[in-house]
Amino acid sequence: MSTLLEVSGVSVSFDGFRAINNLSFQIGKAEMRAVIGPNGAGKTTFMDIITGKTKPDDGSVLWGDKSQSLLKMTESQIAQAGVGRKFQRPTVFEDQSVADNLMLALKKNRGPLSVLRFKPAGQDHGKVTDIAREIGLEAALHRKAGELSHGQKQWLEIGMLLAQDPQLLLVDEPAAGMTPAEREHTTELLVEAAKTRAVVVVEHDMEFVRRLGCKVTVLHEGSVLAEGSLDHVTSDKKVIEVYLGR
Amino acid sequence: MTDTAVSSDRKYHGGAGAEPPRLATPSGGAKPFVARHPSVLIFIACLALFTIGVTILAEGFGIGVISTSFVKTLGKTLCLCLVALAMDLVWGYTGILSLGHMAFFGIGGYAIGMWLMYARTEIIVSTSLAQAPLPPTPQEISDGIASQIFGVVGASEFPPIWAVAHSLPLQLAAVVLVPGLLALVFGWLAFRSRVTGVYLSILTQAMTLALALYLFQNDSGLRGNNGLSGLQNLPGLGDVPQSTVSMWFLWASAAALGLGYIFCAWIVSGTFGSVLRAIRDDEARVRFLGYSVEGYKLFIFTVTAIIAGIAGALYYPQAGIINPAEIAPIASIYLAVWVAIGGRGRLYGAVIGAAFVSLLSTWFTGGQAPDINLGVYTIQWVDWWTILLGLSFVAVTLFAPKGIGGLVDLIENRRAPDRHGADLGPDPGALREQEAEK
Repeated sequence: MSTLLEVSGVSVSFDGFRAINNLSFQIGKAEMRAVIGPNGAGKTTFMDIITGKTKPDDGSVLWGDKSQSLLKMTESQIAQAGVGRKFQRPTVFEDQSVADNLMLALKKNRGPLSVLRFKPAGQDHGKVTDIAREIGLEAALHRKAGELSHGQKQWLEIGMLLAQDPQLLLVDEPAAGMTPAEREHTTELLVEAAKTRAVVVVEHDMEFVRRLGCKVTVLHEGSVLAEGSLDHVTSDKKVIEVYLGR
Repeated sequence: MTDTAVSSDRKYHGGAGAEPPRLATPSGGAKPFVARHPSVLIFIACLALFTIGVTILAEGFGIGVISTSFVKTLGKTLCLCLVALAMDLVWGYTGILSLGHMAFFGIGGYAIGMWLMYARTEIIVSTSLAQAPLPPTPQEISDGIASQIFGVVGASEFPPIWAVAHSLPLQLAAVVLVPGLLALVFGWLAFRSRVTGVYLSILTQAMTLALALYLFQNDSGLRGNNGLSGLQNLPGLGDVPQSTVSMWFLWASAAALGLGYIFCAWIVSGTFGSVLRAIRDDEARVRFLGYSVEGYKLFIFTVTAIIAGIAGALYYPQAGIINPAEIAPIASIYLAVWVAIGGRGRLYGAVIGAAFVSLLSTWFTGGQAPDINLGVYTIQWVDWWTILLGLSFVAVTLFAPKGIGGLVDLIENRRAPDRHGADLGPDPGALREQEAEK
């Protein structure tokens, strides 16, 4: 399996605090990966580096077949290259309808002039409706996103991520604030997505991670502590120490 | 789809703000632009009615109930409405509180004013020199014009920026190009460094102040604090009465406002408008969706600067005079106040705000408002109007953030539920069950 994203030897410090310390990470083109770790392990900073929000002090982040460096690109260029991100707190555009939110995310040319000329065709509306059906918001298409419940906003954001059609999905705690049934549906969506693209899920909930049934990377103090199946890493001595305290 | 999701959708079915449950039919499609945006049609109809009404009532072509000076006031108001539209686009929709758009407006005025002054002075100078025994050389005429225009600042030569003042097409191009280029360069520098919020406002204000201070200098080439005057006289049309000229400008201003409104409505509709509002609400998130926020901001900043320039070019021939005080930061602050009072984020709100507040301002500061005698103190509106305006601005911001345009929501019953501080539904932003069922 060829590598989609290769992070090697990345370090970043904030005011002397090493948030990420010589971190290396790889993911293939159609792979699901769960990233776990205690608070402050650097999970969010790790995502910030990949998406271009934070520039690392050291190391390299290479993307795709051409091994393009993501470090010189802006956030929007990285997103256009095919990296989609879902934030921990659902961030949807509350003042706009569900349909508008999805249409905004829909894959298309993002330049101002082409967006100005962009007229959603029948197939674009079709895609939006399909995604809305998939995330269970078909009946809410014309409601403002701000009126949705927390779980629905989470889904809308997942839907926006799907609409973006990225090659790599970075998903931060997708199941937070969801009921068990909703969690199950989210799992299905992510597993389905991972068949055709790379999915990185940051999660605290071990039960959720178990259901994803994928390789797990454990982060601690900004570097990889262990990597392997969930059973493998949970039986790792160091991991137990970090999670249960010494 | 899980059962929970279905039931929670049903629960909120038809909540406030939710449109009737039309299924996901393509909302764009074959319907023409105005049919999808009825407010545009209503606005154009109102504007047309207003223009016809004034035409009938004014001296120029009608029965003469409205004085020419009031026609000019109305025409100027239409130009202010146009620049308010630009401000609403940049502030209300995109969230950039620019305190520099009246500078672009002023630049547009200066650009057209240079031609007006040059061409009219040229006619005067040629006529007077024609009486001389020897026919005047082009150099003599040019010198004559220069000393006529710049005598007041003690110069008698044309500064370089007047190089194309003799040409109407070139000066008209300058109306569009100079504000556009200035906005492009300024915006590129500011947005590229990701200056946002209040810092950007301060930066735009600094630009405005710098420009005004520069123009105040006598050697700026634009007659210092004297500014350009006599702009109401159209060169070569000296025998056309002002009552007629004022109507021409009223029509031109109305046409510009109408076209500007359609243009702005087109820009804010559809996905482009969606991106703009998204930038206003959460620009970082828009970046992660792959849109280059800076490019969009730069586009909207430049386009609105051009609209402001055009509005200024129509305004100052009606005002008759332009001087650097018109560009001072306070003018741009007034512009923001108009848009806030009218209602941000809706185009008709900006127009209503600009028309209402500027006409009221004319009435109060024109000495027509009756003074109020309180016994111990007499409130003279000429002095107290700005205080009243400031208080209304504060009141609108605190109690009616949607401005006058919010009244339309009241009529359409689109009010957000008033919870009196009570707990929200499942989480902030969600409707409670009883609200949704109303």
